[in-house]
Amino acid sequence: MSGDERPDGGQVGVVDEELGLLDRFVELKQRQWFLLTGSALVLLVLPFLMIDGLSVLSELLTGTDDFAGYAGLPSLVLVFAIVVIGFDLLLGYTRLLSFGHAAFFGAAAYGAAIFSEQVVASPLAMVVVGGLVGTLLALPIGVLSIRRSGVYFAVLTLTFAQMLFFWARSPGAWLTRGSNGFIPDAELTILGYRPDTPLTEALLVPLPETVFGTVTVEYVLVAVFALLAILMAYRIVNSPYGLVLEAVGQNQQRVNFVGLNVFRYKLMAFVISGAFAAVGGALFAIHEIAVGGGVYPDSLYWIQSGDFVIMTVLGGVGSIAGPVIGAFVFEYIANVINGASTVLFTGPLQPVLGEFTLNFTPIWRLVLGGVFVLVVAFFPDGVRGALASLARRLSDRFGERRREPATADGGDD
Amino acid sequence: MSVTALQVTSIIVNGLQQGAIFALLGIGLTIVLGTMKFLNLAHGALYLIGAYVGMFFAVNRRLSGGTLSDMGFQAIGLSATPVTIGGVRFNANILLAMVAVVVVAFVVGALMERFIARPFYDRPETAQLLVTFGLALVVEQLARAIIGPTTFQAYGPVLDSATVAGQFSLWRLIIIAIAVAVIAITYFIIEYTDFGLVVQAGTIDSEMVRLLGIPITRSYTLVFGLGAVLAAFAGLIGGTFQTVSPTIGTTQALIPAFLVIVVGGAGSVVGAIVGGMALGMVFAVMQQSFLTQWANIVLFGSVAVVLLVRPGGLFGSVEVAE
Repeated sequence: MSGDERPDGGQVGVVDEELGLLDRFVELKQRQWFLLTGSALVLLVLPFLMIDGLSVLSELLTGTDDFAGYAGLPSLVLVFAIVVIGFDLLLGYTRLLSFGHAAFFGAAAYGAAIFSEQVVASPLAMVVVGGLVGTLLALPIGVLSIRRSGVYFAVLTLTFAQMLFFWARSPGAWLTRGSNGFIPDAELTILGYRPDTPLTEALLVPLPETVFGTVTVEYVLVAVFALLAILMAYRIVNSPYGLVLEAVGQNQQRVNFVGLNVFRYKLMAFVISGAFAAVGGALFAIHEIAVGGGVYPDSLYWIQSGDFVIMTVLGGVGSIAGPVIGAFVFEYIANVINGASTVLFTGPLQPVLGEFTLNFTPIWRLVLGGVFVLVVAFFPDGVRGALASLARRLSDRFGERRREPATADGGDD
Repeated sequence: MSVTALQVTSIIVNGLQQGAIFALLGIGLTIVLGTMKFLNLAHGALYLIGAYVGMFFAVNRRLSGGTLSDMGFQAIGLSATPVTIGGVRFNANILLAMVAVVVVAFVVGALMERFIARPFYDRPETAQLLVTFGLALVVEQLARAIIGPTTFQAYGPVLDSATVAGQFSLWRLIIIAIAVAVIAITYFIIEYTDFGLVVQAGTIDSEMVRLLGIPITRSYTLVFGLGAVLAAFAGLIGGTFQTVSPTIGTTQALIPAFLVIVVGGAGSVVGAIVGGMALGMVFAVMQQSFLTQWANIVLFGSVAVVLLVRPGGLFGSVEVAE
C-alpha cells in the first residue's frame, strides 16, 4: 500500500510483517485457484445434479418425477445467484438493506431486451449493455439513498425502484410496452448456436452424454458469468477494500474516525452490488427471450427486490456460498415445488384421515414465507449456517465417541 | 383547462378520504415504532385481516379457488341486513363488522407482540424487518390459500348509492367523519391519558420508564394491539370503497403506511396525521388531473424529496432518523 511509504522514500514496517504479508498473499492466491477450479467443476455438474440427481431422489422418496429439476432451472438459479452474491456484498458485509435492487435488475433486463431488438441480438453485447444501464442507474440512486441510513435508506431505495416500476408500466410504455411486456422480435444466437443447443453438440470434443447432456449453450454463458461473479466477490471480500466495507457494516463511526470516507465506501459497495444485479438482470432477459418470453414491469416491482432479500437471508448472509444456496432453495420452491402436488396419508393413516391431495401451486409462496420466517427466527446464518453447524455438531459427536472409550478406560483404572 | 369549484371540492373529498386511511395506518405504525423501536413490515397484514374480517361480517360473498371453496363452502359471510334511517337504506351489519374487526385485530396484535415482536426487540433492525416481512408474506399467502385469489368488489354499506348535494357519495362523507373521530380518539388517548403518557415516555426513554417501576411490557402489548386495531379499521373502511384481494396488505397499506411515517417523522402521531392527509391530497390531486398515470410516480417522488430535504420527516427529530 502506498500509505506505508514515507515521503523520504523509506519503508515503514517490520521485515517480519512483510514476510507474513507475502505468505498471506501466496496463500490467498492458492486458495483463489482452488476456489476457481472447485467452483468451475461444481458449475459443470450442476445441471446433472439438479435434473438427473433430483429426479432419482424424487423417484426414491415419492415414486413420482414431480420434485425433479427441469431443463431451465440450472441457468435460472445461477442468474439469481449472481444477483444475490452482489446483494450480499451490500447486506452481509456493509449491512445496508436495500429494498430497491429490482431497479437495477429490471432496468438491465429492459436494456438488454430493447438492445436485442433495436441493435443486435448478441447475448454478450446484451450483457454488456444491460450491465452498463443498471450500473449507471445505481450511481445516482446510490448517491441519493446513502445519505440516509437504516429504514430511511430502505425506503429511499424502495421509492426510486417503485417510481421506475410505475413509469415502465404506463408513462414509459412507448419504450417498455407497458404491462404487456417487452417481448423482442429477435432470434438469439450464442457464437452461432441457439441457446438451448446441448453443449455436447456444440463442442467438437466429445463429452459423456449421460452427465453433460443437459448442459446447454445458454447455461455455459450464465455459468461463465457466475464464475466471474464468485471470483470477483471473493477478491473484493478478501481485499483490504472488503475489510473496510465490513468495518463500515460493524461501526461506521470508527471507520470515519480512522479517516476513511464512509460515504464513498458505501457508495462503491452499492454500485458494485448494483452492477451484479444488472448483469443478473441482463442474463435473466436472455434466459426469458431464449424461450420466447420477454421482460415485464414485475421485474422492477418491489416484490422482486423482496425476493432478493429472501434469497440472501435464506442462504445466509456474509458468505459467497450462502447466496448461491439461497437462490437455489428459492427457485426450487418457486418453480418445482410450485408445480408439484402430493397425496398425503397414503400409508396406514388413509382409512382414518381419508385421501387428501396437497397441491402446492396456490401455496408455494406460503411455504416460502414460512421457511423464511423460521430461518430468520432460528437460523440467523441461513441454510449455509445451519448446514455448517450441523456438520460441526456431527463431527463433534463422532469425535467424542472416539474419545469416550479412552475416558471410560481411564475411569476404570 | 378550467377547474370548477365542484372539481376542487371533489378532489378535497377524495383526498380527505384517502388521507384518513393513510393517517390511520400511519398512526398505528408510528406508535409501535416510536415506543418499541420495532419496525413492523407486517402492518399491512393487519390491514388485510381487517378488510377480510370486516367484509365477511358485513356481506355474503361467493368464493372460488382456495381451501374453503374446495371443502364445499360456496359462499361465506353474513347476509346484508337493510335498515332505513332517515330515508336512506343502510346495511346495518357494518356496525357489527366494526366491533368484530376491533376485537379480532386487538387479539391478533397482542399475540403478534408477544410471540413475534418480543423475541426480536434486542435483535438488530434488519432482523426485525426481515421477520415481519416474512410474516406479511405468510398472512397474505394464507388469505390467498384459504379464501382464494378472488378480487372482491367494494361493498358500500349505503345502499341505493345515496349522495349528498347530488354529487358526493354519502358513504364517503361518513367514512371521513368516522376516520376523523377515530383519529381524534387515538390522539386523545395518547395525549391525555396515563396510558398515553407511558407511551410517550417510552418513545423518549423506555429504559427510564422501566426503572421508574412502570410495567412497560404490558403497555407494549396494549400499544401493539392499538396499532393493530387502527390498521385493521383502516382495512375495514378501505374495503367498503376499494376492492379486497390478498395483495392489498402490501400495495394499499404497507407501502403507504411507511411513506406516511417517513414523511411525518418516526414516532410522531401528529406527523402521521399530517403526513397521511398530505399524501392523500397529493394522490387525489394527481388522480383527478390529466396526469393520472403519473400519480404513483409523483407520490413516491414527493416522499423521496421529503426524505432527502428533511431527513427526520416533517415532524420527527433527526435523532430518530439516524
